[in-house]
Amino acid sequence: MSTLSPALLAAAPAGPSLADFGKDPLWITIIKAVFIFVFLLLGVLFGVWFERKLISRMQDRYGPNRAGRFGLLQSVADGLKMGLKEDITPRTVDKVLYRLAPIILVVPAFLAFSIVPFGPMVWMFGQHTPLQLTDMPVAVLFVLAMASVGVYGIVLAGWSSRSPYAILGGLRSSAQVVSYEIAMGLSFVGVFLFAGTLSTSEIVAAQAEGGTVELGGFTLNLPSWYVVLLIPSFLIYAITMLGETNRVPFDLPEGEGELVGGFMTEYSSSLKFALIMMAEYVNVFTVSALSITLFFGGWRAPWPISLWDGANVGWWPMLWFFIKLVLVFSAFVWIRASLPRIRYDQLMAFGWKVLIPLNLGWILMVATVRALQVPENNRAVVFTLAAVVLVGILAIWFRFDTVLQRRREEKAAQIEAEFARLQAEPEAGGFPVPPLDLPHYHGAGRKEVPSGSN
Amino acid sequence: MGETITFWVLAVVSVSAALGLVFSRKAVYCALMLGVVMLSLAVLYAVQDAPFLAAVQIIVYTGAVMMLFLFVLMMVGVDSSDSLVETIRGQRFWAMIAGIGFAVLLALAVGQAAIGDPAGVTGANQRAGGNVPALAELIFTRHVFAFEVASALLITAALGAMVLAHRERTRPRPTQKDLAKARFVSGYPGPLPGPGTYARNNAIDMPARLPDGSVSELSVNRVIARHDVEDGRLPDDPELAEAIRQAAAEEEEHNASIAGPKEDR
Amino acid sequence: MELYLPILVLAVLAGGFAVFSVAIAPFTGPKRWNRAKLDAYECGIDPTPQPVGGGRFPLKYMITAMLFIVFDIEIIFLYPWAVAFDQLGVFGLVEMVLFIATVLVAYAYVWRRKGLDWD
Repeated sequence: MSTLSPALLAAAPAGPSLADFGKDPLWITIIKAVFIFVFLLLGVLFGVWFERKLISRMQDRYGPNRAGRFGLLQSVADGLKMGLKEDITPRTVDKVLYRLAPIILVVPAFLAFSIVPFGPMVWMFGQHTPLQLTDMPVAVLFVLAMASVGVYGIVLAGWSSRSPYAILGGLRSSAQVVSYEIAMGLSFVGVFLFAGTLSTSEIVAAQAEGGTVELGGFTLNLPSWYVVLLIPSFLIYAITMLGETNRVPFDLPEGEGELVGGFMTEYSSSLKFALIMMAEYVNVFTVSALSITLFFGGWRAPWPISLWDGANVGWWPMLWFFIKLVLVFSAFVWIRASLPRIRYDQLMAFGWKVLIPLNLGWILMVATVRALQVPENNRAVVFTLAAVVLVGILAIWFRFDTVLQRRREEKAAQIEAEFARLQAEPEAGGFPVPPLDLPHYHGAGRKEVPSGSN
Repeated sequence: MGETITFWVLAVVSVSAALGLVFSRKAVYCALMLGVVMLSLAVLYAVQDAPFLAAVQIIVYTGAVMMLFLFVLMMVGVDSSDSLVETIRGQRFWAMIAGIGFAVLLALAVGQAAIGDPAGVTGANQRAGGNVPALAELIFTRHVFAFEVASALLITAALGAMVLAHRERTRPRPTQKDLAKARFVSGYPGPLPGPGTYARNNAIDMPARLPDGSVSELSVNRVIARHDVEDGRLPDDPELAEAIRQAAAEEEEHNASIAGPKEDR
Repeated sequence: MELYLPILVLAVLAGGFAVFSVAIAPFTGPKRWNRAKLDAYECGIDPTPQPVGGGRFPLKYMITAMLFIVFDIEIIFLYPWAVAFDQLGVFGLVEMVLFIATVLVAYAYVWRRKGLDWD
């Protein structure tokens, strides 16, 4: 996108802004809400099918191909089967919370999708309205809020089951989700620094055209999609969205080798389990849609298509949005096909010790660059500050480096000492070793005949 | 109109949730009721044109603080009944003082709202071009000191959590290599024998017989053996029962050896 | 107010769907009573007896929850700061550097005391 001249981009019509919301009549709102609801329901049905089909192809097999054409009805069949299975409520569970937990999980998952922009202003049954259910001055925070309510579902599902696997799974899973929520929240800050707003429709509008930056007399065109401009933010977000939705490689809650089904162990396979599974998929769609909105220009057409004048008006953007959503979801599947599950302590250490400090450092860097862009700011102060921060970071890094180096040397010396000790001592510190004076240790008794000489 | 309806609906919801919080017997239900009260507050904030405060209310209070409550509840045992012994001296006296103080505060707040002319946040929001920038302007210019002091408060919080809940390891965690070494030195490097699964019994709490016909107590999990002994679920065969009893005794011994050093921590 | 009405509509839809699913679940399937089936699942062995008081959990999770609060509040401050960054100017940057540095003290302390290690 950076190659585009500003003149071309300036022609792009601006999308809806916050002022365009809250003006729909009730029936339009209901139509939009029903659309989102149906979109997510069908999305789960065919998302599951698509994931299974795609991962099968990646693993060199066919995947579901019996129910319906191309196995398209597989998820429908699975859903029906879940409905027709016995609904087992174990004797020990806390009956109220056990039934409430799936509801608490699924409702916020749906709600978080309400701020996702699908497209620009369109004419719908004679009403001029944005293709987005609603927007608010704190739209992105709303997604985080819904995520934090959803965690309750996990904790309560685990606790109310009253079974060790479920409780451990629930605690683990909630600890994981909250840890990655922090890194996720931090990765948004870069976007807000550039967009100057928390509303999703305005963030999409801010990515319509790249700004320019004056650096040492040169005028540089900044790329318009934040994924290019803020690539570290995006990478961190991409990792956290796997962690936040409990997807491979962070699907510890259902580490079947250690915890059976995690917090959903006791939910057998009835409709309650279907709800939990649906919540997981809807969460995946939400974080994917959010990544598109914040980093991939939202519903705006990608470069070659955006040259066409009608690309960003009317109903077309919904198609671009949908294609982007499918691509991001495919990336989820691709990652699932490629990576093994990681260990729990590694997961937590990665979230707390790597993602958070990296994120904070990156935010300060972006803020410094941003401060230099504002002309009335005192550059000397900014540069001094940047230097202080840089020196501080370097000092911490050097400290780390020397400590790690010392630790590595200590370890090497220890191993060497152990080796020397074991070599000097034939019993090797009590290990069961065969006697070391067996004849074949000292060469064969008989004279060897080199091969090929007879 | 909509605002009035929201207020009355939420008033009923939050007051009944608050009553539920006071009167429900299980700690987890109390926590959930508190969550409902907080959510209703958040909706009220949102309706009053303070969307940022609403989101913060959900994220920080419902999301983070309540989650801490839940974890703490689970740590002390969710169903454990409250002890009614008062450990703080003069508890009732200070509670009374705090109660009166709170009542005065409440009366003042209600009086302020009833007598004074409510300013609302609409004007402030419009002046700075939105709720969030308006808030930022206030936090980062007029209330800078409070903002920086908040960070010091956060340090205290983290320190408190570490002091209360962290247990530092006195010796390094055994690595896989250490464990392997210990296993070899123990003289029994191989895996333990599996439990005896006979055609008529597929439970894993049944000791196996070794090739020479003797019963191996190593083949049954010690924890399961202890449960079996405690619940009196021993097999009829006296030899097998004896093996399970032995494994259970070992488990007791093991527990005692762990519990011993724990006391002085 | 009008901005939140659509969320309410969607909440009614999603909530209705979820409650309906949970409510009809017992009626759509067969019912065949079996004692073992109603036990908590523990891979085939008899379920562990429930400890008195509902059982206790490692304190570990409390540190995570506490640190979560600390960083959550930091994020809450970072958002308005980022949104209004251009208006706040250099002063805002200085403030935030100070704030992050202070919070990092707590973070470094917890890291140093091995509060971030899981095992």
